[in-house]
Amino acid sequence: MNKTKKLVASISKLLRRRTCYPSTFRCNPLATIAFNHLSRDSLQPCSAKPLAISVSGLRLSGRAFCSKRSSVCWNCGFSSEKAAFLFCDSCRSIQPVDDSVDYFQIFGLENKYELDAGSLEGKYKDWQKKLHPDLVHNKSKKERDYAAEQSAKVTEACRTLTKRLSRAMYIMKLNGININEEETLTDPELLMEIMELREAIAESKDSNALNQIRSQVQEKLKQWSDSFLEAFESQRFDEAVKCIQRMTYYERACEEIVKKL
Amino acid sequence: MAEPAYTVASDSENTGEEKSSSSPSLPEIAVGIDIGTSQCSIAVWNGSQVHILRNTRNQKLIKSFVTFKDEVPAGGVSNQLSHEQEMLTGAAIFNMKRLIGRVDTDPVVHASKNLPFFVQTLDIGVRPFIAALVNNAWRSTTPEEVLAIFLVELRLMAETQLKRAVRNVVLTVPVSFSRFQLTRMERACAMAGLHVLRLMPEPTAIALLYAQQQQMTTHENMGSGSERLAVIFNIGAGYCDVAVTATAGGVSQIKSLAGNAIGGEDILQNTMRYIAPPNKEASGLLRVATQDAIHRLSSQENVQIEVDLGDGDMVSKVLDRLEFEEVNEKVFQECERLVVQCLRDARVESGDIDDVIMVGGCSCIPKVRAILKNVCKKDEIYKDVNPLEAAVRGAALEGAVTSGIHDPFGSLDLLTIQATALAVGVRANGNKFVPVIPRNTMVPARKDLFFTTVHDDQKEALIVVCEGEGETVEENHLLGFFKIVGIPPSQKGVPEINVCMDIDASNALRVFAAVLMPGSKSPVVPVVEVRMPTVDDGHGWCAQALNVKYGSTLDLITLQRKM
Ligand SMILES: [Zn+2]
Repeated sequence: MNKTKKLVASISKLLRRRTCYPSTFRCNPLATIAFNHLSRDSLQPCSAKPLAISVSGLRLSGRAFCSKRSSVCWNCGFSSEKAAFLFCDSCRSIQPVDDSVDYFQIFGLENKYELDAGSLEGKYKDWQKKLHPDLVHNKSKKERDYAAEQSAKVTEACRTLTKRLSRAMYIMKLNGININEEETLTDPELLMEIMELREAIAESKDSNALNQIRSQVQEKLKQWSDSFLEAFESQRFDEAVKCIQRMTYYERACEEIVKKL
Repeated sequence: MAEPAYTVASDSENTGEEKSSSSPSLPEIAVGIDIGTSQCSIAVWNGSQVHILRNTRNQKLIKSFVTFKDEVPAGGVSNQLSHEQEMLTGAAIFNMKRLIGRVDTDPVVHASKNLPFFVQTLDIGVRPFIAALVNNAWRSTTPEEVLAIFLVELRLMAETQLKRAVRNVVLTVPVSFSRFQLTRMERACAMAGLHVLRLMPEPTAIALLYAQQQQMTTHENMGSGSERLAVIFNIGAGYCDVAVTATAGGVSQIKSLAGNAIGGEDILQNTMRYIAPPNKEASGLLRVATQDAIHRLSSQENVQIEVDLGDGDMVSKVLDRLEFEEVNEKVFQECERLVVQCLRDARVESGDIDDVIMVGGCSCIPKVRAILKNVCKKDEIYKDVNPLEAAVRGAALEGAVTSGIHDPFGSLDLLTIQATALAVGVRANGNKFVPVIPRNTMVPARKDLFFTTVHDDQKEALIVVCEGEGETVEENHLLGFFKIVGIPPSQKGVPEINVCMDIDASNALRVFAAVLMPGSKSPVVPVVEVRMPTVDDGHGWCAQALNVKYGSTLDLITLQRKM
């Protein structure tokens, strides 16, 4: 029952969130992606904070002024200095979701765009071995709910950080920038390229041709990802947004190709 | 003989929700049950390892059937059959797993019509009529009832041996089972007084056993160890299932699943048809002889088949392996297709595969082994599992893990991260099936899609929820449907209908639908939430009935997103 209520709450939150976007979704290709991205987040609502760390610092200011915060286990009172205190190593109980913990912190990573996606899987599994709802059948309803939420958050964190595009969008959001999808259709050069790409995919007869296009698209994706990194690090956010828009198109083209393969 | 001990629970569809009153201090270890189409086994964690229970005849593999010979039905657990043929007189019902949750238009049901018991179809999309021959009369039953009778016997056998009540179970199921079929399995368990902790797709149970083996062998290295990619191929009498799993540190993450209702039964029927004399009905004797021949063909190049069918009809034939493979070409092609699809869905190249695991009664067929070796480009098949016991061992491990049992040596330090076996979505764009959560999405999962109206001033929209891989609605399993009402009058294409699907860690599916209008800050009518599936056994004709009643008046199309 409780769970149902929460889900209804989250869908309404999800629907409310939509008002952040002035445009209608229909005429806009990127909107759906941005929305989907947010809607999954709505499991652990995460508003566009300027910087997660400063927010958490403020929120816990009553307890400590230093940037290093400590968390206390709800079950045994154990105090932890870990940035991502999802699980108490002392009494092995799962902690409630803390919205101020961002996806990078969960994986013990610096808040940086560049990362080794291959290293996420192992850490992801380590977390799930502690947090997965399957493992807490005999615990209290409260802790089973924590397990469901924490494990979903870790899954989403892994999903988001694994792919370049979603990672780029996420790191921008952590910096208070939601992608403005209004500007997507203005670049005629890009439009032309996309049209040609679409035709090429549609006309490809065999998997060889498709694979060839795919590797070209992936190369493009890599290039724009590099440009994003550069723009983001030098805080040229407008440019970073443009890079994300291009990455979105190439990502989608990749999906189309895989569907046809 | 005692009264059958199964109790029929109320007909409400409350499945999966906890009813157990287990005290946290003394957890009941759930038993693992592998219900095969032809054979079944039951196992439990005994405190240090998995123990497979044996029936009174000292068998670990128990034939899955129920005979209705006398007034009281008796299943394969307690029943002694003097001859294999006794199963084929019409008094015994078997292959329940192939029939459960299917309507009478299903080709798998039609293929069951030449079994010795009675399977009648009216071909209108209701459950088939199934009956056993008792004292020269057909006594009707249902797959759920047959399964429940069998499960009660299994439960009693386990309770006697374990000297405790057995209530919680982990059951293996075919990958291709729809959510509706899963509710039917839960129903059969409930009728037998069993509470289902988890329904595990068969290859994922094997994946857990494999994860434990990997964990044990790499234990000294500490940490998670390196990740190993395995292809698990399971082919039994009724179903063929494939999984790709990435395993590290006792965690098995299911990357992809694929499955279909093909297996030994199809191979048997194809072969019988091939060797039977023309215009001769399939007989029990021929079935037994063919089964035996297929077994021998796994180790021999050819077999001699001699059967006296009576009335002067004799079968005398030498069947060689090549002929056998040609006769069953379609089955083997489908096996190959499933493996190829599974690898592609997992985005795995054959060079990355560390192990190929083959289990199930038909996994010893040389052609099937050759296909796996070829597609996976491996010379060797994984040797450390017993092909007939792996699934039940995995289910028993999961039973212990989900019961919260801790093992001091770390043998239960295990976890399976599941993926959705089939896509779930809605009917839109005419009669198309539009997936909202694609297959092989990591569970738990939540996704949404936007749809819009197709008519001006369309006030209502029909949300038809399906599961499967087909392009059109008819090709998929119907899970349920509901109507959203109160869409404000507007031009077609303006209202935005958001359909959100949520699968939680216990695999429960919830569907939400909301109506949004451009500029409105919140849904214009209350969000509808429906737990799926909602259909019953007569659901086969529902899609048609909806079509007759509403045509395309309540249709939806996807909101176009440009590439
Ligand atoms: Zn604690």
